[in-house]
Amino acid sequence: MDNLVTIENVRKVYKRDAFEVPVLNGISIGVERGEFLALMGPSGSGKTTLLNLIAGIDRPTSGRIVVDGKEISRFSETELATWRARHIGFIFQMYNLIPVLTAMENVELPLLLTKFSKKQRRERARVALDVVGLGDRISHFPRQLSGGQEQRVAIARAIVTDPSILVADEPTGDLDAKNAEETLELLRRLNEEFDKTIVMVTHDPKAAQRAKRTLHLEKGLLAESSSPAEAVV
Amino acid sequence: MKFGTLIVRNIFRNKLRALMTLMLLAAIFFLVATLLAINSAFERNDTGGTGDRLVTQSAFSLANMLPFAYEEKIRHVPGVVDTAKTQWIGGYYKDTKNNVALMAIDPNKVESVFPDYKVPPAELAAFVADRTGAIVSDQLAKRWGWKIGDRITIKRQIFPFDPQLTVRAIHHHPVQKSAIWLQMPYFQESIGNFGRSDMIWMKVAKTDDMPRISQEIDALFKNSNDPTETYTEKEFTRQFVSMMGNVKLLFMSVSICSIAMIVLLAAITMSMSARERVTEVAVLKAIGFQPRLILTLMLTEFASLTLLGGLIGIGGAVMFYRSVDAGAATQGLLENFHIDPQTVAICIVLAALVGIIAGGLPSIRASRLTVVDGLRRVV
Repeated sequence: MDNLVTIENVRKVYKRDAFEVPVLNGISIGVERGEFLALMGPSGSGKTTLLNLIAGIDRPTSGRIVVDGKEISRFSETELATWRARHIGFIFQMYNLIPVLTAMENVELPLLLTKFSKKQRRERARVALDVVGLGDRISHFPRQLSGGQEQRVAIARAIVTDPSILVADEPTGDLDAKNAEETLELLRRLNEEFDKTIVMVTHDPKAAQRAKRTLHLEKGLLAESSSPAEAVV
Repeated sequence: MKFGTLIVRNIFRNKLRALMTLMLLAAIFFLVATLLAINSAFERNDTGGTGDRLVTQSAFSLANMLPFAYEEKIRHVPGVVDTAKTQWIGGYYKDTKNNVALMAIDPNKVESVFPDYKVPPAELAAFVADRTGAIVSDQLAKRWGWKIGDRITIKRQIFPFDPQLTVRAIHHHPVQKSAIWLQMPYFQESIGNFGRSDMIWMKVAKTDDMPRISQEIDALFKNSNDPTETYTEKEFTRQFVSMMGNVKLLFMSVSICSIAMIVLLAAITMSMSARERVTEVAVLKAIGFQPRLILTLMLTEFASLTLLGGLIGIGGAVMFYRSVDAGAATQGLLENFHIDPQTVAICIVLAALVGIIAGGLPSIRASRLTVVDGLRRVV
């Protein structure tokens, strides 16, 4: 088994004033290279926290997280930021595009941290927008796009640096059925045609059905693992 | 430069707020540039003159006049090239708002002791030949349309007479733009031949000798009824400027208060702007922007905003004072007034500093924000 992500006995405890709130209680999982994994569970089960830990935007209280052979749980903030820029593509529920930038400029944003020339950046951004089917919307600002289009621009931004892993937090949570379907289809294509490893948090069993594997979390623990067919139930 | 688009778009993200902030900054920096330039104008007066002149006055007060006989004794002090006794008269033209710097001088001493009052030789000769003649400044001549041969009356201010003068010459002094010279004999006659004047100016051969000459002159009259104090022209002018010390302090205080006010107002605007972008900052950090880069981008944005506002205000002040006769508006107090390059440079630095200081805290907060907290926060 070729695990791209290995999580070993990870605990995460948040401090809220004088209280300690345990969110993850010793989770161990592996994510294979090229896998499309869905994380499901009720609110507060720790699925977003687990996603954040895999993406390197949060640190575990204890345990190890190894991504592509590197133990990111030991990285400093600066090392993590550099690592994220190379290896992680983010897709958020609320799209989180920069409203003052056009679709092209939003997609180009992660490339500003690279040594690519402006021409190279523009070319790559255009290719990414073509992949998500928005090659004709490059000059549009987010307010001029529909919710579905905004999410596709966000997906283009996530893939433009050709990252190892795409992490998606409720990517269809703010979309209507049609746009949700298009977004999920796009993620499936990225997984199957472009061999992207995807970890997706979702409440929606239909969305989870698109994943190759679904993990259920409950109260910070792994409850069960299921195939797509079982997840619909 | 690759972040230029992001910075510029963020500056004008809320156009109305950006416009209001720029207008406020422009107004404040117009005021600050004006006040600093006034102070600078006062300072510039310190350096007026030729640098090779000394002036002797009463040790008690400028109001105490010195006997004419002192001039002859001073002329014989080694190192003194020539002397000229003068008297400040003052006055105004037609209206009390129109102050002029009226002074009496022995007519044949203008060229030898005050060559910086550049006067065409023919006009100077005409002045020397006419007991009621006057040398007026080019700026006053322009302001009131005086021409050679015109009769003018200057109204009294200190002495009980209203000089009736004929414009015989026009001087072109780089600083003294409201000065009028009249003849000492005419003044003396008019006030009853006092035989005294308030100042005796002298030109020296070597500027290195000035301290010695000053000491020797004052030693000459130390035990007389009219002891003297002798200064360089620069020190003498500084006395007048120092009399305005409180005015300068007031101007500086208003400038500092204005800057402090704009720092606070800018800080509020920038905090609002940073607060609105918490989620965006979190997204930028998530995709790999380092905290230091976030800090740099935000500080650059805020400093650019204040710099732009400052430049509008400073540029406006420069153009305004080019088109307005500040000398006429201030009764001659601010002759030749303009916003000098030094003031422009100071204001530009201040404008950038306002942005950095006001935007510092919100920028630091944004750069320290964790991605998880930023994404979770609902603005």
